Amino acid sequence: MKNRLKVLRAENDWTQAELADRVGVARQTIVALEKGKYSPSLELAFRLSKLFGKPVEQIFDPESVDGKPE
Amino acid sequence: MSGIDDSLVMASTTINPVKRAAQRYFIEFAISMTAYVATIWVSRSLLYGPMRTASPGWQYVVALLPLVPILLVFGAVVRYMLGVDELIRRIQVDSLALAGGATALMAAAYGLIEGDYAPKLSAWWTFVTFMMAWLIASFFVRRRYQ
Repeated sequence: MKNRLKVLRAENDWTQAELADRVGVARQTIVALEKGKYSPSLELAFRLSKLFGKPVEQIFDPESVDGKPE
Repeated sequence: MSGIDDSLVMASTTINPVKRAAQRYFIEFAISMTAYVATIWVSRSLLYGPMRTASPGWQYVVALLPLVPILLVFGAVVRYMLGVDELIRRIQVDSLALAGGATALMAAAYGLIEGDYAPKLSAWWTFVTFMMAWLIASFFVRRRYQ
């Protein structure tokens, strides 16, 4: 799923490791999310939403979902 | 840092739970493996020494002593899996499933030819095969998300 994580992270001047620490995941997970290789659970999506102070749909692009399961 | 939830930012000063889970796992794994080597040595020393003439029941108990640290490793793996984040857990669960399937297939295939066309092997090889398959599967499953 496409998302704006990389842009939002850059706006806050955070490294991937810093963002990972802030939401309590591994850096590998942030890398996979930013590359769109992994779609987060609702819980993680809401944690990111809360951290960036933006609604989930402003971070993750629902239009990029092709309807096929991962 | 406008628009950022302060309580979450403050939470960032605490140690990342994934890192903590990994650190705890490595410590528990190291202790368990040390205990495994020690129990192997103790078990073999007793079985080939003072317990050579002991009752078979006691010999079984002593021979199975190294199973205790193996159970500790199992506990460490379970705690690690419960402590990591959703993607790491997914990678590990997928890898375990693939390793289990591959091991079952190989064990079934070998079972069909064992004795007649291939030498009888120790059941220990199933364990070794599973661990190797887990390692290889982890490598390939992880690549899916890189």
